[in-house]
This record gives sequence, C-alpha cells and structure tokens, in this order.
Amino acid sequence: MERGESSNMNRRTFLKLSALTGAAVGLHQITPPSSVVSVSHPPRKKHGAFEEKWVPTSCLGCSGRCAIKVRVVNGRAVKIVGNPFSLLSDGKVCPRAHVGLQILYDPERIGSPLKRSNREKGRGIDPQWSPISWDQALKEIKDRLRSLREIHKPHQLLMLHGLNSKSTEDMLFRFGEAFGTPNIVSGDGLDGEAEKTGNWMADGHHEFSAYDFDRTQYLLLFGADLLESGRPLSRLLRKWGKIRRERPSRVKIVMVHPRYSVTSAKSDEWIPIFPGTEGTLAMGMAYVILQEKLYDKAFIERWTAGFENYKKVVFRFPLEQVSTITGIPSYTIQRLAREFAMTKPAIAIGGKGAYALPEGSYHGYAIRCLNGLVGSIDIPGGLLYQEKPNYKTIPPVAEDQIAKKGRKRPLIQLGGSERFPFARSVTNQVPESILKDIPYSIEMAIGFNCNFMMTAPSTKRWEEAMKKVPFYIHLSPFVSEMALYADILLPTTTYLEEWGYEHSSPGAGFAEMRIKQPVVQPYGEAKSSTDILLMLAKRLGGSVEKSFTSLGEGHEGFVKLRTSSLMDWKGLLEKGVWVGPEYQYKKYDRIFNTPSKRFEFSSGNLETLIAKSGKRGERQREDRHRYDAVRFLGEKESYPFVLHPYQPLMAFEHGSQNYPWAQEIYLPLQGTGWDTPVEINSETARRLGIREGDEIWVESPFSKIKARAKCSEGLQPEVIAIPSGQGHYAYGRWQKGIGVNPNELIGVDFDGISGQASYFNTRVKVYKA
Amino acid sequence: MERTYVTIEGKSRGYYLLVTLLGLGSVSLLVSFIVSYLKGQQVWGVSNIIPWGQLIIFYIYFIGLSAGAIIISSLSYVLKWDFYKPITRLAVFMGILLMLGAMFFVFVDLGRPEKFWRLFGYYFLNNMTSMFVINSIFYVVYMTLMVFYLWLIFENKKKWAAIVGTLDVIWAISVHMGTGAIFGLIGNREIFFSPIKPFEFLAAALTSGTSLIILTTLGVFKFTGRHIRQDLILSLGNLLSWLIYVLLVLVFVDKLTHLYFPGREPALYLFAGNYWWLFWVFQIGMGILIPLFLLIYPQTGRTVKGVSFASLSVIIGVFGERAALVIPGTAYPQHFFPGFMEGIWGKPGIFPVTVWESLLCLGIVSYIALLFVLGLKFLEILPAQEDEAIVAVEGSNPLLKKMG
Amino acid sequence: MESAVRLPILIQGSKSTRPEEEKMPKWAMVIDLDKCTGCQACIVACKAENNVPHGSPEEQRRRRDIYWNKIIAVTRGRYPKVQTELIPMPCMQCDHPPCVTVCPARATYRREDGIVIQNYRRCIGCKYCMVACPYGARSFNFRKQDEMEYHRPDLPPDPGSREVWPFPVRTQGVVEKCTFCFHRIDRGIREGKRIGVEVLPACVEACPSCAMAFGDLDDPQSPVSIAFGSRTAFRLREELKTNPKVIYLPR
Repeated sequence: MERGESSNMNRRTFLKLSALTGAAVGLHQITPPSSVVSVSHPPRKKHGAFEEKWVPTSCLGCSGRCAIKVRVVNGRAVKIVGNPFSLLSDGKVCPRAHVGLQILYDPERIGSPLKRSNREKGRGIDPQWSPISWDQALKEIKDRLRSLREIHKPHQLLMLHGLNSKSTEDMLFRFGEAFGTPNIVSGDGLDGEAEKTGNWMADGHHEFSAYDFDRTQYLLLFGADLLESGRPLSRLLRKWGKIRRERPSRVKIVMVHPRYSVTSAKSDEWIPIFPGTEGTLAMGMAYVILQEKLYDKAFIERWTAGFENYKKVVFRFPLEQVSTITGIPSYTIQRLAREFAMTKPAIAIGGKGAYALPEGSYHGYAIRCLNGLVGSIDIPGGLLYQEKPNYKTIPPVAEDQIAKKGRKRPLIQLGGSERFPFARSVTNQVPESILKDIPYSIEMAIGFNCNFMMTAPSTKRWEEAMKKVPFYIHLSPFVSEMALYADILLPTTTYLEEWGYEHSSPGAGFAEMRIKQPVVQPYGEAKSSTDILLMLAKRLGGSVEKSFTSLGEGHEGFVKLRTSSLMDWKGLLEKGVWVGPEYQYKKYDRIFNTPSKRFEFSSGNLETLIAKSGKRGERQREDRHRYDAVRFLGEKESYPFVLHPYQPLMAFEHGSQNYPWAQEIYLPLQGTGWDTPVEINSETARRLGIREGDEIWVESPFSKIKARAKCSEGLQPEVIAIPSGQGHYAYGRWQKGIGVNPNELIGVDFDGISGQASYFNTRVKVYKA
Repeated sequence: MERTYVTIEGKSRGYYLLVTLLGLGSVSLLVSFIVSYLKGQQVWGVSNIIPWGQLIIFYIYFIGLSAGAIIISSLSYVLKWDFYKPITRLAVFMGILLMLGAMFFVFVDLGRPEKFWRLFGYYFLNNMTSMFVINSIFYVVYMTLMVFYLWLIFENKKKWAAIVGTLDVIWAISVHMGTGAIFGLIGNREIFFSPIKPFEFLAAALTSGTSLIILTTLGVFKFTGRHIRQDLILSLGNLLSWLIYVLLVLVFVDKLTHLYFPGREPALYLFAGNYWWLFWVFQIGMGILIPLFLLIYPQTGRTVKGVSFASLSVIIGVFGERAALVIPGTAYPQHFFPGFMEGIWGKPGIFPVTVWESLLCLGIVSYIALLFVLGLKFLEILPAQEDEAIVAVEGSNPLLKKMG
Repeated sequence: MESAVRLPILIQGSKSTRPEEEKMPKWAMVIDLDKCTGCQACIVACKAENNVPHGSPEEQRRRRDIYWNKIIAVTRGRYPKVQTELIPMPCMQCDHPPCVTVCPARATYRREDGIVIQNYRRCIGCKYCMVACPYGARSFNFRKQDEMEYHRPDLPPDPGSREVWPFPVRTQGVVEKCTFCFHRIDRGIREGKRIGVEVLPACVEACPSCAMAFGDLDDPQSPVSIAFGSRTAFRLREELKTNPKVIYLPR
C-alpha cells in the first residue's frame, strides 16, 4: 500500500470510529440514564395467570401521610385506594393518592447516583451528569464529611429537608446530632410556624391544631382552604361530606377569604376580605362578642387567664375601624360574630393566607382566642390537641466532643439570635445567611427531598445561595430544581418502595400511626434516605456510627424497633394502621402549657420569652397588637394590587409535578389544566383594558413574570391570584415549561415572632404584554 | 331525430396534462390516507367537540351534487324535455361518480375504515333507527339504480330509461332527504334539529347540482370544442334561479324558527360567533344572494357568462352552507347546566384547517375528477361534434363562426 | 332496540325460581352536590381503574384528550355574589340514549340492566354518537395510545371472545366512554356480592366525602334509592327526555 493511501485509510477509519464514538456518547447524553418505563404494565406470567396482593402502606404526596392500600399485580402496582382501618379519614384518600402510580412509574426518575461534571451551577445550565456507583458516591461524601469533622467544623454542614417520612426525619435529626451540626432546616419555616406560634401563645402547644369536625355545627374559615391545601386533606374531604348531609343537622360553613376558591364555592357563604386582615376581623368579631356578652362565661372564668387585658386590646378595634380595614360591612361582622358565638359548638380555623404575614403569629393568636371566647377548646366539636404515637424510645445519640461543640454553635437560620429572638425554624433566612456567611460559612449541604427553589419566596436568592455552597448532595427520586445544584445526586425511593412510619400532624385528635412498607421492588439502584444515612454513618465510623447501631437492621429494622411499643409487627404489616386510645376531651387541668396553666388571652408564654430576651425582645414588645396595618412590600401607588399565591389541590409537595393525571385537571374552578392563569377581578380587568386570555406581565418590586389573564368574579378587586406548583424548569415532559411560579415575585419578609416566611404581603402591578 | 354520442379522443396535450395533474392528486389521496391511518385522526382538525370535519362536509356536499345532478338529468327522460338531452348522459355519469366520491369520503372519515362493511349489514347487524344505516341502504339502491339508468340510456331503451329514471329521481330525493335527516333528527344540537332539514338539503342539492351541471357542461364542451345551445344554459340558469329562491325560503324559515327559543343561543352563535362568515359570506352571500341577483338582473341573467358566474357562486356558497351546518353546529358548546361554563367546556370549538385533511379531500376530488375525465374518454357520454342540433354559442368559438 | 348479543347476567341467590322472570336491576348513580368537595378524586380513580389515557397540554387545548368522567365548573353571578357549581359528569347511561339510536353498527347498545355498553370491536369510528350525546360523555381515540396495555388479569384475556369486556387498551379510531365499571358489577354479581355496598364503580369507591351513591334504583333499600328519596333531585338537560340515570342532589 502506498504511504498516502494507508494514511487515508487510517484517517477514514479514525473518522469513522470517532464519529461512531461521538454518536454513542451523544446518544448516551440525550437518552436518560434510565430506560422508558410505562405507567402500569405488569409483566405477564403464564397466560391468564396472575399474582395479586393488596399491600397497606402510606402515601407521601403531601404532609397528610394518609393510609393507603396498593393493589399489586405480578409485581406491578396498578391501583391505590384508601385503607379502611384508618380512622383519620374513615379509610378515604384524596385524589393525589391515586396519582401515586404515576409518581412511582415516572419514566424520568433517576436510577443510579449521578455526579456533576459541569463546574458551573445555575438555572438552565446542564450539570452534565455522569452515573457513578454507590460506592464511589458514598466514598466521596464520607471523605468530605470526615474532613469537616477533622477540622472541628461539623456545624458547617447544612441539612435541608422537605417532605420525608417521619421515620426518615427522625433519622436525619439523629444524624445531624451525631455529626455535630445544629443546622437542620426544614420547610416548616415556610409553612406553618406562625400558625403554630399563634397557638403556642394561647395554650403553649407549638403544634398545628386538630379539629373535631364530626360534631361541630359552625365552621368559620379565615382563608382556610380546607378542601385544597388543608391538612390532612383526606380527613377534611371525608368530614366535609359527613357533616353536610350525614347528620340530622347540617353544619354551616362560612369562608372569609380574598379569593373564591373551591372551599369558598362549597361553603355556604363567601365573604371577600382585604388580604392580610383576617386577624383584624377576628378582633372585630371579638369586639361584638364581648360587647354583647355572648362569650362562654363558665369556661372563661374557670379556665382562662388574661381576659381583662384581652378586653382592653379588643376594644381598641371598634367595628367601623375593622370594617374599613377589612372591607367587610359592619353589619356582616356583627352577624358573623353573633352566629359564631350562638351556634354551639363552633370552630374558627385560619389558613395560610391569614398567617404567612409579618404579623402572622398575632393573627393566629387572635383566631385562636376567638375559639377560646366561645369555649370551643378541647370539647366535642371544637379544637383538639393532637396526640402523638408513643414510639419506642431509642438510645440517645453518642455525641463526641466535636459534635457537642458543633451543636452549640449559633444556627444559620438565626433562630434565637437577635434578629429572630423567639423563632425556631426560619427557613426564609437561610439563603441570606449562606450568601453573607452569617454567622459562619457553609461548606457542605445535604438536601433530603426538598425543593426550596420552587416553594420558597424569592427563588432567586436560593439559586444564588446554592450556587455558592461548595459541595451539595441532593437526595430525591428525580432531578428537581434544587437537584440541579447538586454535586452528587443520590436516587431515593419513592414512598411506595420504602419502609417507614408516619403520623400526621394535625390528625384527628387521637394518635394514629401508619406503616410504610415497600409495595414493589425499588427502581434501579434507588435506596431510601434512611438506608443512605445508615450507610454513611457506618462509613464515617466513630461516634456517628455508634449512634446508629442497635437501631435495628436497616430501615425495616428501625421501623420495627420504633413501632414495637405500639403493636405487633405482623399485625401492623397486615393492617397498616395503629390507632391510639380514644380521645379524652376537656383535659383542662393538664393540657395548657402556660405560666398560669390556663388558656391565656394575654400570652404569658410570650411575656416570659420577651422578658428573658431582655433587650433583644424590645422590638417585639413594640410590634404587638398590630392588627390595624399590614406591612406590604411595595408602594401602593406603583403597585396597586396584592399578590395572592395559592396552592391548588393537585399540587404535590415533594418537588415534582410531572404527573399528567394531576396536570390535566389542575384547576377545577377554571375548567383547565396544564396552566397557571393569573386571576384578576373582572371589573379591575375591564378598567385596565385586559381581556380574558390576554398575555399580561405581573410585576412586583423584585421580579416579573408573564402569564395569561383570567377574568374572575370571585376575587377581591385589589387582589391578583396565581396558582403555585407549576413553573418547573429542571425536568419533566409533563411539567417543564408549563405555567409560572408566583413565588418568584414574592419579597423576603418574616413574621417577627416565629420567623415564618411571609407569602401574602407582596404588592404587584399588572399590565398587558 | 337521433343524436349520436361519442367518446372523446383524449389525445391532446391538454388532456394528458389534466390527467397527470389529477393523477398526482389521486396519489396525494393515497399518501394522506396512509398517513392518517397510521397516525390517527389527530393529524386532522377534528376534536371531541367538533367530531365531524372537512370530510363530512364534502360527503354531504357530494351527495347533494349527485342527487342534484340526477334530478336535472331527469328533465330529459322523465319529463321528456328533449331540449336537455345533450347533457343527460353527462349528468347521470356525474351523479354516479359524485356518489362514489361521497362514499369515499365516508369511508375515509371512519375511525376504523376496515370495518366499513358494518354500515351495509341490514337489520340483523344494524340499528335501523340510525340514519346512517337508512342512508346506506338508500345509497346502495341509489347506486344500482343510477348504473342501471345509465346503462339503459346507453342501450337507448327510452321507455325503460324513463321508468328507471323516475324511480331514480324519487330515490335521489329520498337519498338526499335522508342525508338531511342525519342532522335534522339530532335533538341536542339546536342548529341541526329541524324537521325541514331534509328539505333544506334537497334544495341545496338541487341548486348545487344544477350549478355543477351548468359549469361542467360549459367546461367540458368548451374544452372539447363542442358548442352548446345558449338557450340550454340560459334555461338551466332560469331553473337555477327558481331553485335558489326555494332554498332561500327554506333557509329563512329554518333560521327564523331557530331564532325563537329553545334554539336561540346556538343560532345567535351561528350568526355572530367565530364562524359567522361561513354563514353570511358563503351560505347567504355566495350561495343565495349573489347568484339570485346575477340571475334576476337581466343584464347578467341572460348571458352565459352571468349564468356561469352565478353557478360558480352557488357551488362555493353551497359548500359553505354544508360547512356552516357541520362546524358551527357542533362547535357551539353544549350547556349541561345553566350558567357560564368555565374553561375548555364552555369555549366554542375551533376547527383548524389541517394539511392532511385538506389533502385527503382534494385528493378524493381529484380522483373523482380523474375518473370523470377518463370516463369521457372511454364511455360515450358526450354528443358528437357535428350535431346539427347544436347551434353556435354567440361569440364563443371562432372556429364555429368560420363554419357558419 | 334489543341488543344483538344476549348477556347471561343472572343474579345469584335470588328469590325467584325462574331466572328469566327475575327483574333486571336498574343501575343508577346519585351525586350529592352538597357533599361533593370538588376534589376530583373520581376523575383520577376512573383513569387508574380503566386505563383511560391522559392527554398533553396541546391535546387539551385542541379538545382531543379523553375523559370518561369530567368535572365542569358553572359560574353564575357577579362579584361579590358569585356562585360556582362543580358538577361531576360521568356517562349518564340514559334510559333513552340518543347515542344508541344513532349508532349504525350497534357498537353501542343498552343492556337490560340499564348500562349503555360500548363495544370497541364493533365500533367503526363514525362519531355519530359523539354528535348525538347531549352530555359530551364520549371521547374519540385520535391516536394510538402511548401507554402499553394495562393488564387486567381479573377479566377474560381473550379479545376474541364474544362476551363484551372492557378492552384494557382501546385502539385508535374508536369512541370510548364511562361504563359504570360494569366489569366490577358483573364480577360482583358472579361472586354474590352486594352491588352498591361492597362493589362500586371506581369513582364512587374513591369519593372521599361519600358524595356518590350507586345501586339499583328499583330496589328501595339500595343506597341509591335512599339517596334519591332524601330530597329534591334533578338531572341534567331533563328537557331532552333522555332519562339519564345519574341523578344530582342540589346544595
């Protein structure tokens, strides 16, 4: 062969080979690491032969954690129904439970651990994942963790968790303790801290309230979307039907809300209110009740304290003033107050719209006090104190010196600091703390199935903060928006493939525990978060490893150990549910965790805290009783409307919305799916020259988004409502690029006492695109 | 005096060009049918709210044309007006082909075309209350009658042709009234529901059939260098104007009824909704008012040109009439519960004109036209050129002028 | 119109001695709009039970997606006195079904127990029934469905069998609609279970607020008769005289 020819041959072969390799590599990049899996195709066995079983477990589409039964045919889950043994909801489940099949068989799940190759992090930047083995992944994580401990800085590990089973939560708290970091941040600070604090101010229970719906006669809802974002939703849906038409007397339900939601539509009355003034309305109603002496004298005299102080505060809010602030006519407030006080038993329930505000704790307190006024505390048909299952106590964590010192460091959430002297969980502060390194820098973070990029206000800050974290490990079954910032992405099992124990808070008053057991084999190489933590602990060795021995074998063993105090394992696996002892009412002698041991209309708990905090508490002392003005972000002249983001029923809380069954029917009141229309009052739209279906910009002082307008009769004229849960951009054929995320518009604000992130006090303006 | 009928030579360049074009159209029919069959009807404009689209529009249009053509053809044999003899064979042949085309349209529109034979089982397998079944019975007999009729005409059996022709005309009337009944008996669609729908359809069939005969005759005769009596065309034009008048009366009565309750809202949607132009521009404007004006006004009504423009207008207008029935009739959202229905359930349907569906329709039209053109070549449809009864059309063919 | 295929439905454990004298039940559904919470669990459960394919955003815009059961929102009034009703609409299983009247191939017919059956084997996809249905209950398969067959091992696997069965996956070009989950009812009858109490259609079973009742309207003790008699009831589009068997109780 000639020299020229041979080089030609070689060149051609080389080009061919490289083209092939390139194609193969390219193909590998564009095909997802996992193969396409269809939703519910059970592998066929012999002709006609099938193996069927029903497995009781519990759902984790939201924080309701309801008991379900899954029908498995030939190893494939084909149908999900409720578990009749659960007395929480009489065995019923909400629609999200049924969509669990699509969560389980999501074709775009990750099957193996992934490592990031692209150093750059950001929205729209491809991480260039490459699959690695579990050994590799865990080794790298272990090395990093160990190095943090070696330099005696375990507090620089930040653990973030979103929606996980209770057993996983217990585990990750334990890990944090053993490791030595106090920085375990949950989504609570975005969710219900203000509500819980309001409750705590009244009776010392920093918890969500449970309600005895079966026997109540009157429900007054302050923006509480019970039928959409209430928890536990299955119980609310069941009881709604029950107390409407399954009793001799039909309950009356009144909804006070800026928006005509599904709950408003199904209530007997919808009373539009100016956003953020629900607490003021509670004060106004209290005014009427006090003036007309409609309160429950016996209860107040015997079991409450601070009533006189309370009266002084209430009488600062005469009806006319309340009417002006809330936009509700005085006679309506009077009527509501009289109805509420004279229909017994009555319950007042607040929703996130009433609490997630700068004065949210006080609003929550005001609503709680309304219940106290009419004596609806711990009575049949009133509000209840949720009991928890008594899990078997596990041996304390083996803390070494490093861990002890680490745990004593200040929190990066700044809870308990000068900024938030009384707060515990200030999730909304985390991005700023990371960016400004206050009180110290964060070197490493682990995220357990959280997606604060989507659910937190002012998402941009979170993006910048996570970009800054040098090493981020994310655990979830799919590539959520937060996972885009991960250096290592570990695939976890969905709730249908793992062990666990759950109890919902709030529940039905009595304690109920639901088991989680795998209904099918885990997908690919996915492992549950607990198993991952156990593996990490083992590799870390030392006191960390010691803290996790004698907890049972793996996740199953842990669950078995913890539930052993409740009922026998075999029975539990068969029934799926343990129901606690019957609820005892009127436990007034022991239920109030307050200085006076009574229900306090003037919060002794808060006074104690303020006194203890000395100078730091001064600001709180000033800020109290601010029921007259809501602090909005943005000037009214430039931003005439108030943004009201709301969570529809079909929105999932575990970070993904890639489920067409839910997406198709996302907004029942609007008869559409796959979309997030911006709701504007029809009259307001007409004034602005906006017609139905027009593309409009919604702009806040912080950001702007573009969406389609929907002219609605069911909206207070100064409110703009946008559904949340859409606007995903990380992955998902059925969610990527669909809709907008209103959380991007929201500014950063906090409830002064609890640190709760404020969602409802951002002002916006709208104009045609 | 016997007239002779001949085939055309069909060797000219123009002829071959026409055949090629129509052949290509027919190929596009095959291609679009295969694509539609493989991909499903999602490539068309139909949806769950407007389930019937271009194909059904063409189907009822073609049946109308066919029935109209046959009824015009009856003028000579049945009513014994020899005047119209030259165009009879043409009309019957067209009737057969148009019927074939209509059946093609139905066949292709089915979701499962391979099961089309289920439309033709009688009584035991079929549901006799369904107008589709009644129509399919009608169509089979109609086809047979037409072919028999044409054969009798070819064989010059005048008496038998008259009898069969009468039967055929009656059957053609029933056929198209049956097609009208497909729509007229549907109670939940207020725009459809009317006892005079069959009559409306019949009137539309007559006008469109007549217009098609006029245009085809003029076109074919001109293309093949034949001359047609001007008064033949003008008399057809006169007939057309009366038929349009009848159609106007029927449409008026039907729409007036629908303006009263309970059919008021859908009728208003037809008049002023997003498909208003189908009704006003096509059905009323081009289908009725413009041709009526053209035909009545003596300046235009007494010229062949005027008549042909009127016919063209009617052809397009009646197509629009079919469309104005099928599309807005189903696009109007059904009101399940009083009030404003939110979201997709309350929005009127939109029918997009899609490529594959249009190609399919044009393909079938091309195919029928191809069969027609080939038929002219291989069957004795047209009268012979040197027929003494044919008189020169004024100012049309210089050749004839020379011949004197 | 009598159906061409006789279905051997016998109610086991019945009192009468001669099966053909046994009166057929009249399956009906009562939906209590006051108890209904608009949660749409019925919609999702139906999709899961019957392998009803979902659509894409584009298909919803073009109205090509398939719904056996749908919820419509109907609004009246102006701010602040506005009222939106959320109404679930399965197939009404009318006693005088317009769809049965117009189906040329007898692919849809009414069984003696009142359920309107859709036989996919016979359906030719002419869509006449969709035009004729006053409730928009019917959807057409505009394409071959992506998802593979949802194996229903509790049903006869042979599609060639003459007995009507729900066809786990429908081919393109046929019309489908809600069937009142007759596969559950038939199996329940064979197993001697109580229909309306132990055996329910998927939507009724899934409803968390127990707003739906199902059963034999002719039996005064059935849940549906009790619900029906509890207060004023109405049906949709009564003026069309289709006699639908889905009955609503108002707020």
